[in-house]
Amino acid sequence: MTRLFFDGRPIETRAGDTVASALYRAGRRIFSRSFKYHRPRGLLCVAGRCPNCLVTVDGQPSVRACVTPIRDGMQVRHQNATPSLEFDWLSAGKWFSRLMPVGFYYKTFTHPRAWKLARQFIRRAAGLGEVSHVATAVPDRYEHMHNRADVAVIGGGPAGMRAAIGAAEGGQRVVLVDDQPELGGHLRYQRLAGVEQARGLQERVEALENVEVLRNASCFGLYEGTLLGIVQRPPVSGAATNAAGDAAGGSHRSAVEERLIHLRAERIVIATGAYEVPRLFTNNDLPGVMLSSGVERLLHVHGVKVAERAVVISDDPDGGPMVEDLRAAGVEVVAVVTSPGVRAATGGSQVTGLTTTVGHFACDLVVVCGDWMPDAGLVGQAGGRLEWDEPRGAFVPAALPPHVTAVGAVAGVPDQVAGAARREPAQAPGATTSPSPQSFVCLCEDVTAKDVKQAIAEGFDHIETFKRYTTVTMGPCQGRMCQLAAIGICARETNRSMVATGMTTARPPTLPVSLGALAGARHHPTKRTPMHERHEALGCTWMDMGEWKRPLHYGKSDSADGPGGREAKARAVEGEYRAVRERVGMIDLSTLGKLQVTGTDAAKLLDKVYTNRLGDLRPGRSRYSVICDDAGIILDDGTISRLADDHFFVTTTTGNLEFVQQWLEWWAAGTRWSVHVTNVTGGFGAVNVAGPRARELLQPLTDCDLGTRAFPYMACRRAEVAGVPCRLLRIGFVGETGWEIHFPAEYGEYLWDLLLQAGQDFGIRPFGVETQRVLRLEKKHVIAGVDTDATSNPVAANLAWVAKLDKEDFIGKAAILEALSRTPRERLVSFRMTDGQVPEDGAAIVEDGQPVGRVTSARFSFANGKAIGLAWVPAALAADGQEIQVNVDGQLAGAHLVAEAFYDPEGTRLRS
Amino acid sequence: MSFLVRCPNCGERSVYDFRFGGEVKARPAPEASPEEWTRYRYAKQNEAGEQLEWWYHRLGCRQWFIARRNTVTNVVSDTRLP
Repeated sequence: MTRLFFDGRPIETRAGDTVASALYRAGRRIFSRSFKYHRPRGLLCVAGRCPNCLVTVDGQPSVRACVTPIRDGMQVRHQNATPSLEFDWLSAGKWFSRLMPVGFYYKTFTHPRAWKLARQFIRRAAGLGEVSHVATAVPDRYEHMHNRADVAVIGGGPAGMRAAIGAAEGGQRVVLVDDQPELGGHLRYQRLAGVEQARGLQERVEALENVEVLRNASCFGLYEGTLLGIVQRPPVSGAATNAAGDAAGGSHRSAVEERLIHLRAERIVIATGAYEVPRLFTNNDLPGVMLSSGVERLLHVHGVKVAERAVVISDDPDGGPMVEDLRAAGVEVVAVVTSPGVRAATGGSQVTGLTTTVGHFACDLVVVCGDWMPDAGLVGQAGGRLEWDEPRGAFVPAALPPHVTAVGAVAGVPDQVAGAARREPAQAPGATTSPSPQSFVCLCEDVTAKDVKQAIAEGFDHIETFKRYTTVTMGPCQGRMCQLAAIGICARETNRSMVATGMTTARPPTLPVSLGALAGARHHPTKRTPMHERHEALGCTWMDMGEWKRPLHYGKSDSADGPGGREAKARAVEGEYRAVRERVGMIDLSTLGKLQVTGTDAAKLLDKVYTNRLGDLRPGRSRYSVICDDAGIILDDGTISRLADDHFFVTTTTGNLEFVQQWLEWWAAGTRWSVHVTNVTGGFGAVNVAGPRARELLQPLTDCDLGTRAFPYMACRRAEVAGVPCRLLRIGFVGETGWEIHFPAEYGEYLWDLLLQAGQDFGIRPFGVETQRVLRLEKKHVIAGVDTDATSNPVAANLAWVAKLDKEDFIGKAAILEALSRTPRERLVSFRMTDGQVPEDGAAIVEDGQPVGRVTSARFSFANGKAIGLAWVPAALAADGQEIQVNVDGQLAGAHLVAEAFYDPEGTRLRS
Repeated sequence: MSFLVRCPNCGERSVYDFRFGGEVKARPAPEASPEEWTRYRYAKQNEAGEQLEWWYHRLGCRQWFIARRNTVTNVVSDTRLP
């Protein structure tokens, strides 16, 4: 037995129940309190179209109870009422309704202070449930699916099923989308219309292999490229095609809360049907005043005896099939009255009677046979519109594009069968006779007929401005319950026709869609280097660099912000630093972007894109360069190594690989040059082995002569290291003798282990990104994207030497020439702190109490015994020895600019 | 935004497969005037209608190509390799 809990109390249910049907059967009549006046509201449409049954389910606010299938143990809570739906102290608000006319906010809170005071109260009083402030993990509850169809049919009623059958029998692939657990549309709840017929059509649909039926799936929008947005809620097993049965969408999907389906279709058939809208009379919003289609759903889908005594409001003098249905269910029909004769519903928290021109009838249910509106949100989104058909007294779709058709009730054509159960649409409520001022036009936002008229009297008589002023059609029902009545009153009050009054614009989503469904499952890839497990085994502290994981340093400092963590980090970094400066260290560089540029025109392309000259680079040599755009902005930097005349090995910064590759390919596009750019990042692992003893460590492992003369600084070689074919680049990012070793990724752990083992005798230590940042900062080596930003050019960044302006042309040349002809606004400089403080990255440079510049990187330099850093300062301050003030934790601290590198300024260690 | 783009190599795909590369425009000669360079760098035609654009098939063949797109309707009428 499935049980749910309402406000903590257990509720018995039956198979096939929704939250609303179970609660109604258990005796609940008030389902919510209204937005503004906290009036009690009960079930009205029982089809997910009105705002009356919004509840909080398992912490999720504003769930429509009438279309939410039950689940065992479900925790359902009421919203917007204190302490309970039956006794809501804020319902006193209804007495103030005279004081809160339409446009209340705009007229009353004209002073910001008044609004500030009032909003605390208003925000508490008005609302639709609360979003939990406790962050909850939502693992894998959402997913996205992509689907294609020749024909998409939206709506699984008889018209939709016939359209699907027709298209499928013509050999087309059809996807039929229906928001109910079973196909059938109105045939499912209109008993007299024939459940038999629904079953017959359903069987025919299911026998067709080229029809895919999506049940419990609501189409919420039609977007460009004939893309349909569909959200499918559990149980979603019906998503499998008929042919494949439920195997593909079986129980393993049950954890999915919502599935968003992107459906592309060649043709779209809109078969969304029509829905019933309320009539206007005093207290038309009382619990117990229910639409006839809602009553039929409770009677025939859920088997609930809706009431004891009912009054039916119908334009059919004998009440039509509704009366028979009620009697068959054992409900006494006290009277049938036509809508002009209705005066008011009576009752406090629930209807107790209906006052009419022919007398008062006591009852506990008022059945409203309302007008029918085509459910035409998709019509508008397809580029069509609804037009008022005066002779038929109905809105009908018009101006649909050729690939979109509307069939069935949405097209204003009553279904043959449904016709027996439905009345022809009449005039809109309020269009012919003036409705009672106390009747509610808009249930979502508590707007009465009086408010609507007043808004029009105030001059808001265009349907769009009227909508924005009164907020009619802007609530959770998105105008389904109120649009027709609002247009009717507007037309009458302005002496215009319904056609001239028009409708508000329909935009997606036509139904509420959760943000989780739109976002979909979380797919955040993690990239690990070939030596990842080794770093883990060494107990490193990880950092995220884009999708990559990199060791920040070795040893744990997970609470890096706490004092203990900070000390652990400082100790680890100093140990690693000393190993590199005094002995030898090794860092994993596998995350570097690596591109192979090959072809007879490879040098030509690189010369065009990089600022440095690369055409004359000899095989076996490497060069540093930056990439600029044509505005001279630094986009990336890296080294270019020429392995052969037509073969370059290019490194990029970790995060910019994709961009650099696309940038190179773009400049090659259409040139007919013989050049090919290949991303080889994943294929190569890399380490940098650096330090005064690096050569001693590496030489025994390779036949390649590593001597200063044979393998100078900025040279590159292909050679075997411990039997592994490697690319050795002599590059000095950290400022010591060292080699970047690039090797096939599958040898990563082998080489790492071997180098660490061989390095034991030399005191080797692996080092992390944090240590590397200290080492490179001492050498004033800039990191593109850290020390430069989207406004930095090479002139201002002190990198003008890397732009070879005597080259015929390269990207950014004209801009760099222009930049050289004027004084830059700011310059990138390096500084040393006067005292012991270490500024944070991003700290302000202050002059005369004003921030004038910013620190991009600052670290404690073990070589200097002081903090050092890079900073952008106004050009006027950028002189060697200039004193500057840096904001360190809110205090100004002194620093001096230093022109040369902080460590080994001559670069002798680098080159030795 | 959910229109389709026909990649000259791979065929029709969702626009999310692609990277937009901006309007097609001619790069000035190196010795062109600063005004011409400024126009090239910063000025966009922003045509309300059909224009030629660069597109890159990021999740497919990884090729740059030129597309004729109507910026009002997002209909891509023609695509070709440069």
